[in-house]
Amino acid sequence: MEKIKFVIDGKEVEAIKDRCVLDVARENGIYIPNLCYNPEVKSSGGSCRLCLVEAHQAGRMRLVTACNYPIREGLEIKTDTSLVKRIRKGIIELLLARVPDSDVIRELAANDGIDEPRFVKDEGENYHNKCIACGLCMQVCEEVVGVSAIAMLNRGPDKIPGTPYKKPSEVCIGCGACAYVCPTDAIPMEDNRDTRKIWGREFKMHLCSVCGKPYMPEAQIDWIVKTTGKDRVFFDKCPDCR
Amino acid sequence: MAIDIQKVDGIVSGYEQSKESLLLILQDFQREFSYVPEEGIKRLSDIFGVPESRIYAMATFYKALSLVPKGRHTIKVCTGTACHLKGAPFVVEAIERRLKIKPGQTTKDRRFSLETVNCVGTCALAPVVVIDEDYYGGSTSENIIKNLKRYT
Amino acid sequence: MEHTKISTIEGLNKYREKILESEKNELPTVFVCGGTPCLAKGSRQVFEAFKKEFGAQGLSGSVELGIKTTGCQGFCNQGPLVTFADKDIVYMGVKPEHVPEITEKTVKKGEVIASLGYRDPQTKEWATEYSRIPFYGHQKKLVLKDVGQLDPARIDDYIAGGGYSALVKAFGMSPDAIIDNIEQSGLRGRGGGGFPTGRKWRSCKAIKTDVRYVICNGDEGDPGAFMDRSIMEGNPHAIIEGMIIGAYAVGSNKGYAYIRDEYPLAIENMKTAIEDARGLGLLGKDILGSNFDFDIKISRGGGAFVCGESSALMRSIGGNVGEPRAKYIRSVEKGLYDKPTVLNNVETWANVPLIITGGVQGYRKVGTKGSPGTKVFSLAGKVVNTGLVEVPMGITLRELVFDIGGGIPKGKKFKAVQTGGPSGGCIPESLLDLQIDFDSLSDAGSMMGSGGIIVMDEETCMVDLAKYFITFLVGESCGKCTPCREGLRRMLDILTGITEGRGKQGDIELLEELCDCLKWGALCALGTSAANPVLSTIRYFRDEYEAHIKEKRCPAGVCKELITYRIDEEKCTGCTVCAKKCPQKCISGEKKRPHTIDASKCIKCGVCRAVCPFDAVIVE
Repeated sequence: MEKIKFVIDGKEVEAIKDRCVLDVARENGIYIPNLCYNPEVKSSGGSCRLCLVEAHQAGRMRLVTACNYPIREGLEIKTDTSLVKRIRKGIIELLLARVPDSDVIRELAANDGIDEPRFVKDEGENYHNKCIACGLCMQVCEEVVGVSAIAMLNRGPDKIPGTPYKKPSEVCIGCGACAYVCPTDAIPMEDNRDTRKIWGREFKMHLCSVCGKPYMPEAQIDWIVKTTGKDRVFFDKCPDCR
Repeated sequence: MAIDIQKVDGIVSGYEQSKESLLLILQDFQREFSYVPEEGIKRLSDIFGVPESRIYAMATFYKALSLVPKGRHTIKVCTGTACHLKGAPFVVEAIERRLKIKPGQTTKDRRFSLETVNCVGTCALAPVVVIDEDYYGGSTSENIIKNLKRYT
Repeated sequence: MEHTKISTIEGLNKYREKILESEKNELPTVFVCGGTPCLAKGSRQVFEAFKKEFGAQGLSGSVELGIKTTGCQGFCNQGPLVTFADKDIVYMGVKPEHVPEITEKTVKKGEVIASLGYRDPQTKEWATEYSRIPFYGHQKKLVLKDVGQLDPARIDDYIAGGGYSALVKAFGMSPDAIIDNIEQSGLRGRGGGGFPTGRKWRSCKAIKTDVRYVICNGDEGDPGAFMDRSIMEGNPHAIIEGMIIGAYAVGSNKGYAYIRDEYPLAIENMKTAIEDARGLGLLGKDILGSNFDFDIKISRGGGAFVCGESSALMRSIGGNVGEPRAKYIRSVEKGLYDKPTVLNNVETWANVPLIITGGVQGYRKVGTKGSPGTKVFSLAGKVVNTGLVEVPMGITLRELVFDIGGGIPKGKKFKAVQTGGPSGGCIPESLLDLQIDFDSLSDAGSMMGSGGIIVMDEETCMVDLAKYFITFLVGESCGKCTPCREGLRRMLDILTGITEGRGKQGDIELLEELCDCLKWGALCALGTSAANPVLSTIRYFRDEYEAHIKEKRCPAGVCKELITYRIDEEKCTGCTVCAKKCPQKCISGEKKRPHTIDASKCIKCGVCRAVCPFDAVIVE
C-alpha cells in the first residue's frame, strides 16, 4: 500500500495511492458536496458531477470528480475556486429544473443562491419524482445485494431506473437497499403493518418472534439463507432482540 | 403473438456462451422476430445466467433493437449532416404525411416502420432513404412516395 | 474459400510468387466499384454485364480474375465507376449498355472512350487519366492505394500486391523497435483525438499484466463520415495486418474489431478477411512460425453513437449498455475488462503497414511536421464533387473544397465547412487558407475529427445547423452525467426557440453558459465536445443568431416559422403543377395565369419549390 503526498486546498496530506480525493478530503475535514457516490458501492460515482474540483497535475489543470479521481504523485487539488463554484452552480441549477420537488436539491440550490432555475421545470410528462438518474440504486442492487432486480433503462434524458417491462420483479427481495441509498429519496417504499410495497410488488414481512416488529421481508431472508447457508432460525429475532 | 421458443434456442445455441454474445444474439432476435421478445430475454437470461434487467436495459439502450414489433418493411431516412442539408427533413415530412406515422412508429397495418438513422455512409447520394436493404439516393418528397409503392 | 495454413515466412513468399506466376497470363483486370453508393446506382448490374460480355466474347483468361468488384473508388457522385489494373483510365456513370463498347475498345484494344470520362464543367473537355481529373489529381493515395484496386473478398489479391510483407518485416524486428518506428513516424490517431500512436503503444506495453487487448474502433458514428467504412469494406486486410503488427509490438494475443451495426457490408468483408487470414495461418497460433499467437473477434455495435467513445465501446464489447467511464486511469492501463488495452481507429491501423514497409523517413516526407502522413476525408454536402479523398496533411481547406471538391454547385456562395461532426465546429470563408492538420483545426475552434467534411452554402442556416447537431447529441447522450443529459436538452430548447421566432435577449449568453458547464463538467468526450458546434457557430456567425432573435428573421431562408413561400409572378407561367402537388391545397390560380400561395395554410413543405420547372417559388 504505497503512500503518496499531495496538496489539497493548500494543505499537504498523506494518503494511500489511488484512493479517491473525496474520501481523503473528508477525512481531513474538507467537505466536497456529492450525491451519487457511496463508499460502500465501488461502481458508484461520476454521474451527478457535483463533486467536481480542480486537479492540477503534470502542468495541466482540469475539473475532475473527486469521488473517483485517484490520488497520485504530484497532484494538487483545489476545491473552492471560482471556476469550481461556477460550474457547480450550473449543475445544481440543471438538477433543480429537473427535480424541483426534491428537498435535497432545493437545499443545495438555496445554499448557492439559486432561487428559480432559468429553465422550464420538469412537470407532467417530464415528472421525475426526485430521481436524478445517478444509478446508485441499480449499482447497489447489482454489486452489494447481488440480485440485479432493477437496471438503468433507456438513454439520454429518458434514463430512469426500473424493472423489466415495469412489471414486478421476480428476483427482487424487497430489501429496500435501493431506497436507503438513493440520495434524493426518490424510490417509493411503503411499509404497512406486515407488508412492504416496492417496485410494484408486495412483500410479506417477517415479524420478530420477541417484539413482534416487522423487520425484514421473507423473500430477503430466503435470499440470505440461500446464498450464505445461514440457519433460518437466526432471523427469527430482529437485530435489537438478538 | 406467440414466439417459437425453438427458434430462440436455435439462435442462442449458435453463439459462445459469453456476455460478449449478448448484443449479437439480441440483434439476431431483432432480425428473426422484427423485435426483441420478452420470452427471448427471459430465455437468454436463464441460459446465460445473466440478470434479466441487464438484458432488458440493453434492449432499451441500443437503437438497433426494439421492444415492439416493427413493420414488414423498414424505412430508414438518413438524417446525417449531408442529408439534412440537402433536404432530408422534407423527405421525412412527406412520408409522415403519407403514412400518418412519425419516426419510431409503425403503420396500423404493420406494413411500414419509419425510422431516422444517423448516417448510412453514402453521403454522396444525399438525401438517402434505405427501405429494407434497398438504397434510394437523391430522395425527394415526390420520388420517395413513388418508391414506397414498391413495397406491399 | 479453402486455404491451407502457411507456417513460415518462406512459405508466404512462395505463396505470393505462386499467385503472381499463375495470374501473369491473365487479362489485365477490370475493376468495378462495389462501394455502397455505386451499388445503389447499379454497379452490380454493370459487373454482371461484364461477366456476360467476357464470356460471350470468348476472351482468354478467367472471368473471375478478369473482372472484380472492389471497394470504394472515391468519386461517389459520379458512380458507377470502372477502372483498370494496368491503364490510367477512370470511367464514370457506367451503365450495362456501355459494357460491350468498353470490352471491345478498352479491354481488347487499349483504346480510350473519352465520353465515359470526366467532363470539366468549365472547359467542357473530357479527361480519363487520374492526373487530369482534379478530384483525383490533387489526392495522395497511400492508405487508400489498394482500395478500388483489389477484390476485398480475395486475400490472394492483397498478398499478390505485397500484402503481409510488412508483417514479415515486423517479425524480423523487436517489439520495441516497432514501437520506436511508429513513434518516430509521428502517426497520430486518425479517429479524431490525434493522440500519438507510438506513445499509446509504449505506455500500454510498459504495464505488467497477464492479458492485453488490442481493439479496432470501427464505430464511425459521425454523420457525414464514411472513411472507415470504405477501408473496412475495401481493404480489410490492411487493418488486420496493422493489428497483428501492433499486437506483436505491445504483447497482445487477443484483438477485437468493433464495427457499427449500420455497416453490414463492412462487417461481412471484415469477417471474410479474418476467416481467410485464419485459414492461411496469418491469424491464430504461431503465426508464420514466429511463436506469436493472435486472433481477432468481431463485435457489433447496436446503434449508439456514444459507443465510438473508447470506454463505452469496451463496455459494449462486454455485453453492457454503452456507458463511458471516467478516464482518469487511461485504457492503456485499465481498459477492456480492466486490462491494458490499445484502442485505435480503423485508419490508424491501416497506416501501420505503410510505416513498417516504407520506413519512418518515407512516411514523414508527406504531411506536416506536427501531423505527418495523409488523412482520408469524406467530402459531402453542398459541393460539386462528393466522395472519398485522401490528401497529405497540410493541404488547405480551399484546395480541398474548390480544387478537389469542384466548388459550390448551382453558382451559390460558399459559407462554411463543418469538420469533426457533432464534436467539431464550423470554419468560415475567412479561414479557407487554413492548413488542415490536427493543431491548426483545434486552434480555430474545431477539430480534425474522424474526417467528415461537410460543405455549406448561403442557403444553410447556421443556427439550424447548431440545432441539428444538438438534436443529434440529445438522442445519442448515454444519460449518465448531469451536464450532458440535462444541459443538452436545455440547449436544444433554447435553439429551437430561436429558430421558431421565440428567441430572446440573453439566449446566446445562456447557451454559452451551458456550453461552459458541458466543457468543464461532462463525463466523456461526447459531452465535453458538444459545445463545439454551438460555440463555433456563435463565434463566426453571431449575426445570424441575432437576426433570428432580434429581427425574427432567418437570413438563409431555412427556419420555417420565420420564412414565407411566395410565387414570383414574373416567372410563374401558370402551369398548375405546384397547385396539384401541394399537400395543403393552398395554391390557387387559373391555368396560364400566375398562381398564389395562401401563406396562412402553407406548411413550407418545399414540394412546390421542388417541382416548379421555372424556379418561381421564392423563400423570404
